[in-house]
Amino acid sequence: MIESPGVTVTRTGEQGAFGGELLTVNFGPHHPSTHGVLRLIVDLDGEQIKRVQPVIGYLHTGIEKQMEALRWQQGVVVTDRHDYLSPPINNLAYALAVEKLMGVEVPPRAQVLRVIMSELTRLSSHLVWMGTSGLELGAMSMLMYCFREREQIMDLNEEISGFRMHTSYIRPGGVFADSTPRFLEMLDKFVREMPGHIDEYEDLLTMNPIWRARTIGIGRLPAEDAKVLGATGPMLRGSGVAWDLRKSMPYSGYEDYDFEVAVSNDCDCYGRYLVRIKEMREAVKILRQALDRLPDGPVNVDDRKMLPPPREELETSMEAVIHHFKLFTEGYTVPAGDAYVAVESGRGENGCYIVSDGTHKPRRVKFRSASFVNLQALERMALNHMVADMIAIIGTADTVLGDVDR
Amino acid sequence: MIADDLVLEKGVTARDQWVTVPAERIREVLSGLKADGYRLLVFLTCVDHLIDASREFPARFEIVYQLRDMDKPVEIRVRTFIGGDSPRIDSVHDIFPPANWEERETYDMFGIVFTGHPGLTRILMPDDWVGHPLRRDFPVGGEVVEFSEEHQIWQTAPDEA
Repeated sequence: MIESPGVTVTRTGEQGAFGGELLTVNFGPHHPSTHGVLRLIVDLDGEQIKRVQPVIGYLHTGIEKQMEALRWQQGVVVTDRHDYLSPPINNLAYALAVEKLMGVEVPPRAQVLRVIMSELTRLSSHLVWMGTSGLELGAMSMLMYCFREREQIMDLNEEISGFRMHTSYIRPGGVFADSTPRFLEMLDKFVREMPGHIDEYEDLLTMNPIWRARTIGIGRLPAEDAKVLGATGPMLRGSGVAWDLRKSMPYSGYEDYDFEVAVSNDCDCYGRYLVRIKEMREAVKILRQALDRLPDGPVNVDDRKMLPPPREELETSMEAVIHHFKLFTEGYTVPAGDAYVAVESGRGENGCYIVSDGTHKPRRVKFRSASFVNLQALERMALNHMVADMIAIIGTADTVLGDVDR
Repeated sequence: MIADDLVLEKGVTARDQWVTVPAERIREVLSGLKADGYRLLVFLTCVDHLIDASREFPARFEIVYQLRDMDKPVEIRVRTFIGGDSPRIDSVHDIFPPANWEERETYDMFGIVFTGHPGLTRILMPDDWVGHPLRRDFPVGGEVVEFSEEHQIWQTAPDEA
């Protein structure tokens, strides 16, 4: 065994095709290109990858267990934190599941605001992906460009919810608060400017010879394999399967928006990049439509048993005070049963399965995370590639380790 | 579709279609459904119904398989109940490859043993962890953390240090 800081090499004794022995190399967990703390045990023949065994769990925070100890409305705060690059989409999956079990339908304005937040999140998640992947594959300036626009999305989050990252904006029964006029102004400016920025990213990457050399033909995942391995999101669409939950099983009013499903038949890292670029353009299109059609009206269900009364009612109505007290000491109950809701996040199918025993706390909450399932396709993609290509493959798989380990 | 003698109960909860089947014939049911077009295992998990007075349950652990036919698209939830001190059920990793890690996670969190699984080891918790955290009788809040008075290293630290 040869040891150096951060790297452990073990000889396996197996013979490789190049006359040498197969080496087992430890990759990660504290490697910047593993997007968090992912450890891979890689068997190498020369520089070719022969086996990959991902070791996960370094970011396990027991989110599902915590949910069981929190009341239904408190759980929203925890959902923000598993896929930390797309908090509102996690909120949405949880909120829709609770609403489905309770049989509640949110008002139209809340639905449009939910779509706006989901699409902004998708943009910001793809921006982080593109910035960091560019950085890893030699396009250093990508990070600066992408984070410049992500900063604007953070400002939008702050304006509408008061928080920049973990917004907890989408809640069972509606949203946290109505949009402010300033938010709509900022969003309008953002939507007008964003297509130009996406062109800028494309100028930097799409025909960039280094980027193309590092991604084209790397990490091939044929459509049939992607389906068998249960991959979702850009991993599946990058393999030529036009499956998008927003189109196939619409939620939150997505059936009313005019947008295309981004698909690429390349089946490689470059294909997944093209899918994400196209998805960003479609997200801007959806944002524009949502902004134009934003209806007037309430943003929460009118149910005092589920959501607290407005502040001004507390001064005049005894009933409002009782509801307020009951909600914040005991919470509301959800009928016994179970429900599953899946939404499309930047990484794929982000689902929430809840089981209620009729009390004010969940019996079980299970997050079906796209990253966890997509990571299982890593070995298939990395086989017979070079070690350096592993970086491109992990990058374009876009797994968030918080989402993998939950 | 599933043969009638395999269906113990079926119904719809919150617009979700579900069916309860006997645990010992789960492989037969799932391969039948796969042949019918339900080719994606969306998720696999377990629910611990320890002291749940809201409904009647045949056994403590409920294993849930959510399947999807992506062409139609329709979903079905297959449920099965197992009990006992060391609950066991057949692995389905060869029918649905994504089940491999999901079964490891369920073993890790609930202590369900999936017979026939190629490498049933802990996946999220450390290998030397004792107990299965998502069981309802796993204590919460009693975790010994470093520097707390119950922590062993703290207790065995030399006095003069």
